[in-house]
Amino acid sequence: MAMPGTLDSANLNGGQKLAVKYFSVAVALFGAQIVFGLLAGLQYLNPDFLYGVLDFSVNRMVHINAMIVWLLFGFIGSSYWLLEDEAGIPVVGLKLGNLIFWVFTLAVAVVVVVYLLVQVGPGDQSSIWLINEGREYIEAPRWADIGIVVCVLVFFFNVAATFAKGRYTGIGGVLTLDLIALFGIYLAGMFYTPNISVDQYWWWWVIHLWVEATWEVLVGCLMAYGLMQTLGVRRKIVETWLYIEVALMFGSGILGLGHHYFWIGTPEYWFTIGGFFSALEPIPLVAMVVHSVFDSGTHNMKNNNHPALAWIIAHAFGNFFGAGVWGFMHTLPQINLYTHGTQWSASHGHFAFFGAYATLVIAFFYLALQKWRGNVWMSGGLAGAWKWKWALGLLNLGMIGMVMAMLVSGYEQSQIERAIEGSSWVGYFVAQAHPWFAQGMWWRQVFGWMFAAGFVLLVWDLLTLGRSERRPAQVHSEPGVH
Amino acid sequence: MIEPVALQDFFLSFFSAAMVILCGALYALLFAYARVRRQPRLMPVAYLAYLGLVASVLVLATVANLFATGFWTLIVALMLIGYLLAPHAIWHLCVGTHADEHADEEPRAFRQHS
Amino acid sequence: MSQLQWWASESFWRKTAIWVTAGSFVVLIVLTLDSMSAITAGGTRVPAYSVINHRIDYVFDEKRNFQVPVIGVEEPLFGKTLTEAEAKALVSRGKLTTQAKNCMNCHTLLGNGAYYAPDLTKSWLDPSWGSKEVREQQMVDFLMNPQDRLHNGLGRRMPNLGITGDEARATVAFLKWMASIDTNGFPANFTPIDQSDPPPAEAPADSGSPTQQQGG
Repeated sequence: MAMPGTLDSANLNGGQKLAVKYFSVAVALFGAQIVFGLLAGLQYLNPDFLYGVLDFSVNRMVHINAMIVWLLFGFIGSSYWLLEDEAGIPVVGLKLGNLIFWVFTLAVAVVVVVYLLVQVGPGDQSSIWLINEGREYIEAPRWADIGIVVCVLVFFFNVAATFAKGRYTGIGGVLTLDLIALFGIYLAGMFYTPNISVDQYWWWWVIHLWVEATWEVLVGCLMAYGLMQTLGVRRKIVETWLYIEVALMFGSGILGLGHHYFWIGTPEYWFTIGGFFSALEPIPLVAMVVHSVFDSGTHNMKNNNHPALAWIIAHAFGNFFGAGVWGFMHTLPQINLYTHGTQWSASHGHFAFFGAYATLVIAFFYLALQKWRGNVWMSGGLAGAWKWKWALGLLNLGMIGMVMAMLVSGYEQSQIERAIEGSSWVGYFVAQAHPWFAQGMWWRQVFGWMFAAGFVLLVWDLLTLGRSERRPAQVHSEPGVH
Repeated sequence: MIEPVALQDFFLSFFSAAMVILCGALYALLFAYARVRRQPRLMPVAYLAYLGLVASVLVLATVANLFATGFWTLIVALMLIGYLLAPHAIWHLCVGTHADEHADEEPRAFRQHS
Repeated sequence: MSQLQWWASESFWRKTAIWVTAGSFVVLIVLTLDSMSAITAGGTRVPAYSVINHRIDYVFDEKRNFQVPVIGVEEPLFGKTLTEAEAKALVSRGKLTTQAKNCMNCHTLLGNGAYYAPDLTKSWLDPSWGSKEVREQQMVDFLMNPQDRLHNGLGRRMPNLGITGDEARATVAFLKWMASIDTNGFPANFTPIDQSDPPPAEAPADSGSPTQQQGG
């Protein structure tokens, strides 16, 4: 094995070699998400910018699709990352897994090229099969849907077969079952209906049951593994808490779906269900707070990967504010009537996706980097540590700035467009022209550039951090694996 | 079934909803901190945060017209009781799940998030 | 070393997690079956596609405390009464067009989508179309050539998406049908285009007197 600090794939097990491939594509797509977000944001400020070339709809579609796919790639990579450690044996069917990685990446590239060059098609089935399905977040054309299902089935085979042949840990069991749900739900979005109420009903199954249920649990699994790795927490406790989380999250999250069924044609009883579970959804967050204090108070916090832990803390705060506070502020139907489909939603969406998911995948990037460099030192006194700190600061402040700007715009929009003007087209444009809105869009752009700067620094850091470091990682006793 | 928030109450509605979550978290935080550091003097501050939560819930319930219907009133009551008891319950669970940890090994940090 | 309580044990929480998840999911399935019957076209909340043969309005309902769609006299789209099958085919073509043209990544439909352009839920009823006599043609013209029509002071224009005449008419049918969905009062406080008739030519086939519609 090479000395610590050298990037050497001999430091990784088979699953982890595949994981870093997924991570590399994830970082590239994260970059694409930011570029197209900036373009779409600029079009708010100058509507003629790229008009007729790359219209807002195209930029926005690539912006949100890149996000979904980079997070999925991050999740898949993270799962491969922990697979051999957890199961205790090499990944079953790794060759096939590698092949599928290339197929998946190629398919994503083709989809994006078609989005950018073909953009729209005639109003018939051929368009939604070949170009784009025109449904927010799951725009991928049907051929790609089927391709995704195939790729994911192979991924699932790798995971399930490896655990089955090796051993099923608690994390492994939850992960496997969660993946079944996560990808099973995707099928609910793969059909055409002329009925938009039915369409959006199932569309929310995919979107909500992903981001507010199955993704959360997947992140819980990754976090459980990450905590055993970075802090050396005992498996039994981690897994007990993983089950507690699953109970709390699925218990509040599955029927929390109700808060998306207020206005799409569905019956009024969804007010009741959505309201009740909205009141319940902060409970997992309270549990998190109490538990973190309990642990930090009864133990010394010692960890061997400072950037990863910093991103995990960013995740805790981001999840709390982005999903918890920002969600609860407009979840009750009494106010959601006016905020639904305004910049409020955009503000919440940005904060929650970044806070709950992007942060944690980035933490995994740092875990991977450490091991890839031969389990190099990543605690205090790390050479060039300013880069990861500045990247962390710029990305988080950039996001908070964007979110605040959109919040101000959304507040104005909900009042003027929705409540006063009654959502007419004239009302829409009156609200869009209001100084609060227009300035909000300017500030959003400014902080967008800050976020982009943070991303550039993050990439630079991921390429260089630990390169000149020769110390091996700080050790903690390893009760995590037994 | 529902009576939407009046225009002049928008800000109060957003603000009180945010304060519900923030006070709830602050209460949980201070509660756990007072216990873990064995500083009972902090406990009244924790309950002060809970009082903040009560006030926020009542404001939210008023501006969102929740008291107009039995169901929504029930939600308000459940929230008040639930958020009061949740930190206690979670604390017990923390102590319970970590019960056999101290005997055989040196202490180590542990954080768990979603 | 103290003993683990049953309520703090791993196996208790494993079982709890499974039961809570399964229970929630079963409830969701039951509710989904019920909701599906309500929102199937022709159900209690989503009218049959042939509703496009009628006037559709959006009127405040005292009992439900929000605006609800009201289906009025016969007012066929483009002057042609369609059978249910024909109407479904037309609306479906329109829905496919909205998907193929990626409408949802600028507009919102039923409030879901992007926020760069107005919500389309009640676009059929929007006062911006002028009068109900010219509305249909206005909508078709706009959809086919939106790039020439600067309709706001921001300089934001819808791009030309190559929408054909047939696609544009189908899209209008889809939008008219969407306006008839009972959305629990979303959007609120909406003032629809004036659709009242000067002369009462024929008695309405359906209930409802869609004249005065002021939101609360």
